[in-house]
Amino acid sequence: MASSLLASTSKRALARRSPAFAKPFLAARPATTQSQSDALYVPGGPIYKGTVNDPTTFPEPSRAHGSHHWSFERLLSASLIPLTGAAFATSPSVHPVLDGLLGVSLVVHSHIGFDSMVVDYLHPRKWPVIGRIATWGLRTATIGVLIGVYQFNTNDIGLTELIAKVWSA
Amino acid sequence: MSLLPRLPCFARQFSSSAARFLATPVDKKPVLNKEFKIYRWNPDEPAKKPTLQSYTIDLNQTGPMILDALIKIKNEVDPTLTFRRSCREGICGSCAMNIDGQNTLACLCRIDRKEGKDTKIYPLPHMYVVKDLVPDLTLFYKQYKSIKPYLQNPEPPADGKEFLQSPEDRKKLDGMYECILCACCSTSCPSYWWNQDEYLGPATLMQAYRWIADSRDSHTAERKEVLQNEMSLYRCHTIFNCSRTCPKGLNPALAIAKIKMELAAD
Repeated sequence: MASSLLASTSKRALARRSPAFAKPFLAARPATTQSQSDALYVPGGPIYKGTVNDPTTFPEPSRAHGSHHWSFERLLSASLIPLTGAAFATSPSVHPVLDGLLGVSLVVHSHIGFDSMVVDYLHPRKWPVIGRIATWGLRTATIGVLIGVYQFNTNDIGLTELIAKVWSA
Repeated sequence: MSLLPRLPCFARQFSSSAARFLATPVDKKPVLNKEFKIYRWNPDEPAKKPTLQSYTIDLNQTGPMILDALIKIKNEVDPTLTFRRSCREGICGSCAMNIDGQNTLACLCRIDRKEGKDTKIYPLPHMYVVKDLVPDLTLFYKQYKSIKPYLQNPEPPADGKEFLQSPEDRKKLDGMYECILCACCSTSCPSYWWNQDEYLGPATLMQAYRWIADSRDSHTAERKEVLQNEMSLYRCHTIFNCSRTCPKGLNPALAIAKIKMELAAD
């Protein structure tokens, strides 16, 4: 309290004495000493949130983005192996549900993989425009592919048969 | 008492420079020159780009480790060369740097004595450089502070003396408490390079697990809860650079895998 009072009075005294010098000085001060500011920007240097003695902060906890996301991704990856084997062992025309399940799982699996890349390299906090374009582009592409797989599996020969045909061709 | 007058004669026998007392001269060691290329950047000349500066020293007049060579260069060739060092025996973690492409402690890294092969020394990769081989570890320490690396248990033990732990529970901390926070692992991790403002990195995550695994700590649930987000923990893609580079032979990747398993089982 006393020190801030002293600082403010001395600032005022400084401003009264030489306004030409004090103006830019006072204007520049908040940028470097503001402690309530979230990020302290030092030109060419690192950006720290808070002072050097404050610990970094964590985002809001969310299991959907944390452990549930991870468990779902791992279970999906593991279940793709028997799913692929089963789809090729059985006839796709007799088991269209299995074929469709494989198609959906593959698309969701690759969506999670691409999404991980977007978060790693094009996170919207660093890339406010390109990051959002990439995120929404990926979502659009995934939905488009899902519709395509549905059309292909209902109106045409289906995924497994296509690969079997291309394989033997 | 009676030993005292004899001491100087013992001292002469153990003296390392005994050669000058011998009647016949000892052959001088042959010169084995080696080139060290060291990253230089001076904050006082911000317009000048960082460069690799070359130093050639005689390995037969140098100690066996990279740190010995650096100290020799600083003492005898170029006193402006800047690096951190303290204990010279791999327990303080000050001299972490990138030597021939591998993050390690200069004091634990032997000089490659192969002839005609230079050694390149850089600061820890993808960190802000303070000067030459000195990286800015402020964020690293801020992240370490964020996981509350201390015992949290408001319930004092019944006898009021100390928190007891079974030998089995104590064993769970082996391989984690030895970490000296040299930052070799975190700065070798590509995920930490790209997202170090949000991702904690292997060193901090291993210490987070060191406190999650501690049977005496009662805040395990809170410690796990803060990691439940996209960035802090799950930017680890099991690349294993951390375990490969650790100069203390620890395994941060295993600790991170255990956190992921415990969070999934929650």
